[in-house]
Amino acid sequence: MLILESVHTFYGHIHALKGISLTVNEGEVVSLIGSNGAGKTTTLNTISGVLSARAGSIYFQEPNGSLPGQASRSPDQGIRLDQLPAHEVARLGVSQSPEGRKIFARLSVQENLAMGAFARTDSTGISEDLDRVLELFPRLQERLKQPGGTLSGGEQQMLAIGRSLMSRPRILLLDEPSMGLAPLLVQQIFQIIREINAQGMTILLVEQNAQAALQVAHRGYVLETGTIVLSGKAGDLLANPQVAEAYLGI
Amino acid sequence: MANSPLNVQAAKIDGQTAQKYLIRALGAAIFLLVAWRVITVGLAEGYPASFWISQALNGLVLGGVYALVALGYTLVYGILFMINFAHGEVMMIGGIAGFFTLQFALARGWMEGPWLVVVAALLFIMLVGMAASVVIGVALERLAYRPLRQAPRLVPLISAIGASLFLQYSVLLIFGVSPHSYRKPELISGGLRLGDVFISYTGAIIFVTSVLLMLALFFIIQRTKLGRAMRAVAEDRSTASLMGVDVNAVIVVTFVLGSALAGAAGVMLGFHNTVVKFNSGFVPGLKAFTAAVLGGIGNIPGAMFGALVLGLIESMGPSALGIPTEYKDVIAFSLLVLILIFRPSGLFGEVLSEKKA
Repeated sequence: MLILESVHTFYGHIHALKGISLTVNEGEVVSLIGSNGAGKTTTLNTISGVLSARAGSIYFQEPNGSLPGQASRSPDQGIRLDQLPAHEVARLGVSQSPEGRKIFARLSVQENLAMGAFARTDSTGISEDLDRVLELFPRLQERLKQPGGTLSGGEQQMLAIGRSLMSRPRILLLDEPSMGLAPLLVQQIFQIIREINAQGMTILLVEQNAQAALQVAHRGYVLETGTIVLSGKAGDLLANPQVAEAYLGI
Repeated sequence: MANSPLNVQAAKIDGQTAQKYLIRALGAAIFLLVAWRVITVGLAEGYPASFWISQALNGLVLGGVYALVALGYTLVYGILFMINFAHGEVMMIGGIAGFFTLQFALARGWMEGPWLVVVAALLFIMLVGMAASVVIGVALERLAYRPLRQAPRLVPLISAIGASLFLQYSVLLIFGVSPHSYRKPELISGGLRLGDVFISYTGAIIFVTSVLLMLALFFIIQRTKLGRAMRAVAEDRSTASLMGVDVNAVIVVTFVLGSALAGAAGVMLGFHNTVVKFNSGFVPGLKAFTAAVLGGIGNIPGAMFGALVLGLIESMGPSALGIPTEYKDVIAFSLLVLILIFRPSGLFGEVLSEKKA
């Protein structure tokens, strides 16, 4: 569904992604793990179009959608995302819940959720999805009128995921959803990721918490200084001694 | 007791704190000086209450116009963190366009027609003024600011000052140096006398129109999808784009709204001051900027409130301080300097986020 082919991204002169290739298939949870500065967030931001790839290509298969004007399509691989600005990538159904949650602090919880559905015009579908998100995160229901900035860290993470779901995405990119949360909340967040996936959502998950990320995933990639050094089934990666030593703290 | 609170306090009075107290003392001294002047000179003159009421009403009219312009500064600052120093010229061009539309209406005798025709014509004049300002405002964004979006923050500021001069002297070149005078239609020339207080129809119309436009803007910002997107972009541009918001389009809309308000203000100022010329946007533009800073730049209710306060200070200040009215600009700009020294975040004292600071 999502295919990256030797993608290179730069910050000025810094070569942050050195030819990343990865695939996410429909219905999968794929985890991208690696230490700080390995390029995990850069990968997601390149997919989302916040950063632009200098070389390589990103394809997104979107069988029944309409094509934006400047997008080119290769028949079997899908739409080239790497030529599109961020808002058009989002409109195609690639939704990112960014690192650090990035809640709109001065907008109410309800307005934050509405921002998630910004590109949509089907008001009945939006209110259905609002009900579904509030069912998934009952805590948000009580706080709909509150400014987003007054929420606790865990609630903000729920809001960030809920906001992404409000766009009714075809693929969800989650950047460090467990960051800075208490262990109990971390468990809860991963439980929710499982639940959303069980309902059919395709997820690309970026995490420093490699253990939890691989437990929830079908497949995984290990990123080191801008290069993918290992990939495979999540179970195999968990059992891999190299991974265990470097990322699982065993 | 080395750690008693008193010792800690004493230790804290280092250079920075001393400076803070010095500034506070200075502020208090200035305040007392102004208060003393008002009591001994302004109040001693013994103006009647009706005089002060008239002055206050004038201040509200002026304040309403400033508010419309100040909103343009604050909207743009809220989203781009830059001061659009050409905004006064955007307003002036609205006034110029309004003048020519007025001439057009006068030539066709619309201004002597039945009141409905006159009102429709006035509305038309204002809409043309707004449209002209919108064209200029959007062109500014496109040509003078967007190419510099990634540049250091001082660069678009310089570009704005350049654009301001460019617009002034383009108007000078095209329309000449002499002022264009607005001729008011009979319908709005008179006024209402309540005791000793005179309320001009023009003033009343300007104030009511300003308030209506401000309410419209407030509604757009707070209650519409577009306004929500504007607020989201103001908070975090890249996250807003992840939501599918076309940030450039939102920035253009911001300039459209700000310029439309400025155009309306330009036309109303034309009727109020009776003249417009190439540089008649400059000083009101700076005043509106002062108002926006007074209210806390980037803060929408702040800009409205700051403008009304500035209007009142400007109209009542000279009499209260016992100085000639020609010095009202001195009062306004002294106020700007004082705010920047004593309360840079303005009356509505919003805490500056790292991004804005």
